[in-house]
Amino acid sequence: MATAECRPALARFWANLKAVPALFRASAFRAGSPVSDRSRSSFVFGNVFLHLHSVRVHRWTLRWATTWGLGLITLAAFLIALLTGILLMFYYKPYPAVAYDSIKDIHFVVPTGRFIRNIHRWSANLMVVAVILHMARVFYTASYRRPREFNWVVGMVLLVLTLGLSFTGYLLPWDQLAYWAITIGANIAQSPREVTDALGLTAWFDLGGLQKLLLLGSDEVGEEALIRFYLLHVMILPIALLMLLAVHFWRIRKDGGLARPEDADGRLPAPARRLFPVFTQLPQKTYHLAALVRGRTPAMGPPENTLPSLPHLFYAEAGVLMLSVFICLLLALLSDAPLKELANPAVPENPAKAPWYFLGLQELVSHSAFMGGVGIPALVMIGLGLIPFLDREERGTGDWFGGPGGASLVVRATAFGLGACILLEAFTIRFGWLRQWWPEVPQLAITVANPGTLLALAYAWYSLWVMRRFDSTRAGALALFTCFLCGFVVLTVIGYHFRGPNWDFYWSPSQWPGH
Amino acid sequence: MKRRKHLLLWTSLGTLVLLGWAIYEEHFSQEWRLLQDQYRMRLEPAAARSFAVQLRQIVVPALNTTDRCVSCHVGMAAGETPIEGHPVFGSHPPVAHDPSEFGCTVCHGGQGRATRIADAHGTAPFWPQPMLPRGFAYAGCGSCHTHLAVTNLDQLERGRSLVERFDCLRCHELEGRGGTTRPFQATGPPAPDLSAVGARGFSPGWHDQHLERSRDAADGYWKDSITVLDVGQRRDLETFLRSRAGAPGLVESKALFHSQGCRGCHKVNAVGGDDGPDLSLAGQKDPALLDFSGLPGERSLPEWLREHFRAPAKVVAGSQMPYLGLDDEQIEGLTFYMLSLRRTSFPEAYWPPDRVRAQLLGERDFSADGATLYGTFCAACHGPRGQGMRYPGTSAFPAVANPDFLELASDEFLLTAIRRGRPGRRMPAWGETEGGLTETEILTLASYLRRLGGREPEPDGQPARWVRAEAESGGALYAQNCASCHGVEGQGGEGTALRNPVLLESASDTYLTETIWRGRRGTTMPAFSEASTIHRSLTRPEIESIVAFIRSWETRP
Repeated sequence: MATAECRPALARFWANLKAVPALFRASAFRAGSPVSDRSRSSFVFGNVFLHLHSVRVHRWTLRWATTWGLGLITLAAFLIALLTGILLMFYYKPYPAVAYDSIKDIHFVVPTGRFIRNIHRWSANLMVVAVILHMARVFYTASYRRPREFNWVVGMVLLVLTLGLSFTGYLLPWDQLAYWAITIGANIAQSPREVTDALGLTAWFDLGGLQKLLLLGSDEVGEEALIRFYLLHVMILPIALLMLLAVHFWRIRKDGGLARPEDADGRLPAPARRLFPVFTQLPQKTYHLAALVRGRTPAMGPPENTLPSLPHLFYAEAGVLMLSVFICLLLALLSDAPLKELANPAVPENPAKAPWYFLGLQELVSHSAFMGGVGIPALVMIGLGLIPFLDREERGTGDWFGGPGGASLVVRATAFGLGACILLEAFTIRFGWLRQWWPEVPQLAITVANPGTLLALAYAWYSLWVMRRFDSTRAGALALFTCFLCGFVVLTVIGYHFRGPNWDFYWSPSQWPGH
Repeated sequence: MKRRKHLLLWTSLGTLVLLGWAIYEEHFSQEWRLLQDQYRMRLEPAAARSFAVQLRQIVVPALNTTDRCVSCHVGMAAGETPIEGHPVFGSHPPVAHDPSEFGCTVCHGGQGRATRIADAHGTAPFWPQPMLPRGFAYAGCGSCHTHLAVTNLDQLERGRSLVERFDCLRCHELEGRGGTTRPFQATGPPAPDLSAVGARGFSPGWHDQHLERSRDAADGYWKDSITVLDVGQRRDLETFLRSRAGAPGLVESKALFHSQGCRGCHKVNAVGGDDGPDLSLAGQKDPALLDFSGLPGERSLPEWLREHFRAPAKVVAGSQMPYLGLDDEQIEGLTFYMLSLRRTSFPEAYWPPDRVRAQLLGERDFSADGATLYGTFCAACHGPRGQGMRYPGTSAFPAVANPDFLELASDEFLLTAIRRGRPGRRMPAWGETEGGLTETEILTLASYLRRLGGREPEPDGQPARWVRAEAESGGALYAQNCASCHGVEGQGGEGTALRNPVLLESASDTYLTETIWRGRRGTTMPAFSEASTIHRSLTRPEIESIVAFIRSWETRP
């Protein structure tokens, strides 16, 4: 009796066993193979990662010139850094006595260690570059406008987190470069002291000292700073960044995809004949629920001119992802990540330079610690954050350099931005500033009037002038943002290339004394 | 769509190519792999089969050493057979320390963790301690044996010449030379190698034993191997042998340093003058931090040191170090010694006895005889024989072994001068808390000066201060006769600075009056008892008034 009952069960067991791969596939991808538009859509919203995207994507979004893939490159760089960073964590030891040796070991004996570390370094740099360019793209296509204001602000926080990640990673090798760059960074954090000193407040309220102490956990860069930076670098900042990234992406969908001109549909050429048919089938998902939720979900409108994300968007995304990998790998093979001598608090690097993206700040700090370290950066961040709330215009959304003035205004603003910054710097380098002319001048006067503040004033004045001339906030914003980018580039180049020992000016590092 | 697919296709293919490139670099183009392949090809087939191409390293946790040098220099790795004569795969020359126990970088410098040639040898940028060049390899002993005791240079030279004179090297090997003859028979054991006999120790009765064997031998090498040596010769030979610690060059260069008076201006391990930089870690200078703008040649520490000894001010602008006029051999020796000053911190368990004695018990690492002390601390300024010295651009340094001076200077005067120096002048104070010399050493130095000059002090029945003259007229006489050399305010010039508190305090009136009266032969100080072409003779009362004038500086601010 038992055998009679067992046989079908065994047979069923055997049949199930044979069916496991198919069953597993079906359980993971419920919608079946993505063969039709409908099943492709189901495939996308049945997958948590793919469903960060909307199921269909507007053809305008797929144009290269809409984004140049900059946001994706930033994401790709982050993912590469995340992956290589995890690999590096297996060998890196975050303690001063062994940190440097562990990096040396990664460099010399860990299989592919040098390669991985180089990729990590280059992807981190790529991320900083790409995030800045991404921000510029969003600004110049006026994509920050309603309803995307909040996502712009989230993006700014992501920018800060990106810089924070890069900066905290800078200390970990525990070499001279790291040690003194972080020392400089910590001193920038301490710069409010310039003002509290001048006002005689430091004894009661030492904001600068507090910031530095918070950053380093000690008066000097030491083991506390290292463990602090390590924790920030491998845990706190990446988790924060990941969470905000999710918000950032989710908001793209909720805000109706990427910004596009109102007349985008009319300006797009007719779809190629052999292209997948544009929205031939309605997706299986209904939007009844979405209709209940108040909002501006674009899928509520007419669905013309959209293509299924799978495969159109995902091919583009995979392409950009691979491009980023390619760039990082190539750079990693061509150039080794720097590793100087073991950190030595007794032998200061001269010049000690912050990471390159802070060199503009360091240049400003050389004029006035408070203004360069706190005043101007705070102003810039507040200004950037306010842009979408001040510019409530509609014209030019989704177009490069859209808005009154357009590309020609950007060209003129570039000329002004570069010119003003170079002239002011050249003047200061050639003739000095207040302290050189009147050694007795109070520090507060320099804090208020220094090349950095004058530059900020010049930019502000120019953008107000442009705003009045074009009678448009957007024009003023275009001018100001362009000037800000120019100032950032000029100051960074000066700090990177033209500053030598004691932060003196040199035409080239080959002229530095003693070499 | 097509363009998007193309982007994906080409970037993916490109990435694959790059990964292939990375794999090639990792597995095929690494220098140490190529070298180990070469090494394997030179092995016997059986050995080659069991030889694995892999990273090799010597790890000594106590010394914080991880040396991967043996990944290329496979012949020196534990358990591998060296290929004799090969520049890379050869065996390590016989040394006192087994490299597998101490690692490589402890002695040679360079970057032990590195696995690429330029990085490992420390010639790549950002490694502060490149390898010591071949000729200076034994300077590496200084990492631990900074305190290796050395003796007087003359004594060493005498010992070495005795070794040559009595042809000890016919049977004994010494630093790679000699030892060709076997004393008993052609197949018998060789005579002991003397290269490290100082570290190993030797029988105090060696001389008598040799004589005995020589007496007993019927014929052969033993018969005429040795003659009777007198006590002095034996002492010189033994001193020389004791200095053979397996570090050829180090002892000689250290002894040379201690004969040139360098420590008159430079401190080494807290003993020495203050005028120049402390040299305790001169061999650890990072070449990247040195200024090579005055040097055309190679940018290495040895080259920098060499040029610096040749012409200090050319290498370090504004250097106070005088042009010493050293010959090439001396320059090499001093460079060698500078490179050996690389005392590194190690656990005390690894300290050699020399270092324990010097650092924990405060013993000297140079011999304590007067000649060595004088050579170490005084010779640079006062001349090797105490005859005084004048370097280009400096004023003359006093001739401290001048007989006229020594006749007048009491022992107490000499001792005070050494102990307390001449504040404000280049002569530093050598007392225990300042220059770091012990009281015994200062006594030894003073008596060595007497030996150099060959004069004892004249007995002086007078009290220290007996001159009762009037300073006013002395001032006029001083301005006339003394100021041109000693300075209007006694600040010194060609002559000694007389307005010096220590000098005025310790010099007796007899010393001052008699010095003026007799002068100092062999120096520019004339005797004022007689007239010369440029000054008239002074009477005793006149001299006393000058002394009274000089004395008045003691009370005048």
